[in-house]
Amino acid sequence: MEKEKNGFAFYAHIYKKILIQDLKSKMSYRADFIISTIGMLFTNVAGFITFWLIFQNFPQISGWTYHEMLFLYGFSMLALTPVQCFFDNNWNLSRAIHSGDFIKYCFRPINLFFYYMSEVFDIKGLGQFAFGIGTLAYSWNKLGLPLSFRNIAGLIIGVLSASLFMIALMNFASALHFWIVGATSVMILIFKFKDYARYPITIFNKFFQFVFSFIIPIGFMTYYPSLFILHQERISILTYLTPVFGIVFVYLSYLFWMKGARQYSGTGS
Amino acid sequence: MTRVKKYLSLVRGSILEGLVFRTSLIVSIIGNLLYLIIIYFLWKAIFDSSPTDVVNGMTFYDTMIYLVLASAMFQFMDTFVVWAIGRDYQSGQIVEYLVKPMDYQAYIFFAGIGNSIVAFFITFLPTFIIIYFVTHGSIVLGMNLVFFAISLICSIVVNFCVDFFVGTICLYTQSIWGVNIMKEIVVGLLSGATVPLAFFPEKFRMVVDFLPFQAIYHSPLRILTDQKMTGADYADVLGMQLLWIVVTLLISKLFWKKSVRKMMVNGG
Repeated sequence: MEKEKNGFAFYAHIYKKILIQDLKSKMSYRADFIISTIGMLFTNVAGFITFWLIFQNFPQISGWTYHEMLFLYGFSMLALTPVQCFFDNNWNLSRAIHSGDFIKYCFRPINLFFYYMSEVFDIKGLGQFAFGIGTLAYSWNKLGLPLSFRNIAGLIIGVLSASLFMIALMNFASALHFWIVGATSVMILIFKFKDYARYPITIFNKFFQFVFSFIIPIGFMTYYPSLFILHQERISILTYLTPVFGIVFVYLSYLFWMKGARQYSGTGS
Repeated sequence: MTRVKKYLSLVRGSILEGLVFRTSLIVSIIGNLLYLIIIYFLWKAIFDSSPTDVVNGMTFYDTMIYLVLASAMFQFMDTFVVWAIGRDYQSGQIVEYLVKPMDYQAYIFFAGIGNSIVAFFITFLPTFIIIYFVTHGSIVLGMNLVFFAISLICSIVVNFCVDFFVGTICLYTQSIWGVNIMKEIVVGLLSGATVPLAFFPEKFRMVVDFLPFQAIYHSPLRILTDQKMTGADYADVLGMQLLWIVVTLLISKLFWKKSVRKMMVNGG
């Protein structure tokens, strides 16, 4: 069966093939795989312990209870899984560009961005996904939220749209490598935003609520989409706009990344 | 004399290296400011929700100073020791260092210290000044600054020894990222850099007090924020840090000596 060269099925097929190769090579470093997965779990548990410690001393944070905060934390972990699993190769872009290896991606008859990102699937993200589900289920139960179709659908759509913001930011940050040296520090800075996403944006004053919604879109990574389930009375227009903004933002980051990639001229080696 | 000279040239080299990456220094200042904003509002919200202004002996400003400076300290003390050892080992380059007439541990220390010095002046000091004004001069500027400086130097050494110990673990595992992230989490939590140790429940606290990690962040930050400290308290804190320097230095040296003998290097 001749598959169309730019259809979805064609790309899914290629992704599967590359993914299997990647997993095979990872499995040959089994100890690294196990230790990295445990390390990832450490970071997730640490966030949990931090909340636990804070709430040992304080009953609530500006109206937010322990379990509500855990709900946001669980939500944010789920929303950060896609960027961790599917777009982790952004971290290797600097090396690929400066060593000249990047040129190989430019010569393939498939989408350059897709090919580059497909090369790495980060399994560590799955541990985070599992821990996020666990945290969310625990707080969901404690808060007595109904397990309705509306909430489940809202959760899936909310997590998927929230995940787009971190993906877009990381694409923007890594694409800077095409123009400047030392962009890794920008990536590290932006990657830290994921730690800030777990806090309700209402703790900030009006000015910073605006900044963290429209200039640095931290609010969309957890707070706005999670309101749909957590606090129906507080749902804002931004909750419904999360998917729209997310798609536009990712598309812009894709264009920016590709613009950088197209003007890449190799290192001559 | 030549002993000192060779280390000084290492330090000079790494200072120059640190100055090359100006973009990353500017970005890390922006990152610190952002962290400061987040910490400010988060802990303000936390303290506003509390019936009292002082919780476990710490005010809102004390907590701010403690956490923001902990983050700034992390940046200038983190010289990627675990990565350096792990990569030297995996690439096989470690063999070259082992045959040189220089202690590998000392080499790694001095090759990183220049970066720390640059980062200290370019990121830590500005952060210190900013937090001083943000908290309306809540940092007492007196003799405690001298003790703080001494304590900070001790912190650097303890932190390095812990890093070197963890880096040596990389000779056994194929993992650098995983080992390093675990270290960062454990040190961050148990040293008070994430949540000040004063907020820990008592049982937790007792365990933490017997570990070397509190000698990295908690000791200097307590000196800076705790205004009720007496001369004996200072001596106690600094004495404990010195003890931890001796212990961690010994353990990391022994562990390294043992590991190097068993080390196998492929190619290189």
